[in-house]
Amino acid sequence: MTESERGDRTGRNAAALAAAITELGVECVLEARGGLVLLVPVATSVEKLQDEDTRRAVLALARQHGFTHVALELPNERRDDRATDDDASVLRD
Amino acid sequence: MNIPSTSAAAAELEHRELALREWLAAHAPVAIGYSGGVDSAYLAVEARKTLGASGVLAIIGRSASYPEAQWASARAVAREFDVPVLELDTAELDDPRYAANPSNRCYFCKTELWSKLVPAAQSRGFPTVADGTNADDLADWRPGAQAAREHHVRSPLADLGFSKQDIRGASRKLGLPTWQQPSSPCLSSRLPYGTGVTRERLHRVERAEAALRELGIAGDLRVRYHEELARVELCADELTRWLEPTRHAALREALLAAGFSRVAIDLRGFRSGSLNVLHGVVA
Repeated sequence: MTESERGDRTGRNAAALAAAITELGVECVLEARGGLVLLVPVATSVEKLQDEDTRRAVLALARQHGFTHVALELPNERRDDRATDDDASVLRD
Repeated sequence: MNIPSTSAAAAELEHRELALREWLAAHAPVAIGYSGGVDSAYLAVEARKTLGASGVLAIIGRSASYPEAQWASARAVAREFDVPVLELDTAELDDPRYAANPSNRCYFCKTELWSKLVPAAQSRGFPTVADGTNADDLADWRPGAQAAREHHVRSPLADLGFSKQDIRGASRKLGLPTWQQPSSPCLSSRLPYGTGVTRERLHRVERAEAALRELGIAGDLRVRYHEELARVELCADELTRWLEPTRHAALREALLAAGFSRVAIDLRGFRSGSLNVLHGVVA
């Protein structure tokens, strides 16, 4: 088991958070930056996060996994080939 | 915007307003560290009404961390309410202790501010210098308050128990346009501790926030600087509105034009002192 899978000394566990967010049906790439976790979504994820209950659930999960801040990266329709509809939530260093 | 609405709250506010007028009369003439924000605008206008034009001097400390829009608003309020104004340049960015952006950055900023402002006030016949610190601020992480104490700057609004809500209510009664203005801390508060404060970074944040205002975003707004990434904190109503995919492009393009290459919306929305939480300075 890697350190990121176990969680680091701060109690943050981005890999487990990615899995938990996938279970909510929100597919995205996760980028951890200290206490901030950045969600790089596929298009359908953006729509799901318009729902306040879904946002609350994501925020609660992030807190449970040691993160204080969650932000949704706005997709660049012209550029972004990093996240596709085929991606599940994955972790990016 | 919440302001005192019950008769008990209104009576309590009136009691505080009276106490403030008495304090001002007892300490006149009074110079005020004036940013044009909600708190200092109220203090300056109340002092002007209580003491007359010769009894108050509102002093603005200008630097790259002070937004141009805030400066324009400060001057407009002073003009409208006939508050005498003095402007000074401050150079906190030239202090490497400030520019390194430690968690007590505000101490070095306020040390620079008060070390220029207090002598300027005293040389003009204003022995009492006050700031707009309110009672709510006392519960927050405010290393700048130590610098104020070291320079014998008084905080009558805090001492008399004025909350931010009280100040908004009293400002509304005076007809101040600032009564519902969002809080407006300095631009350096958008940079995480440890990220150096430079003019370029401050200007980028300032351009970004101005561009979002141009898009019509109202209420509390912060563009937090994370190197290439802008993390936008919006108030609840605006958050819901701007999470609509049809609006993304405009917001994103505005921030790319301001100099960022990636843009994200914070899912919790605006939080005062957000970067203090991120760095564990406060819970």
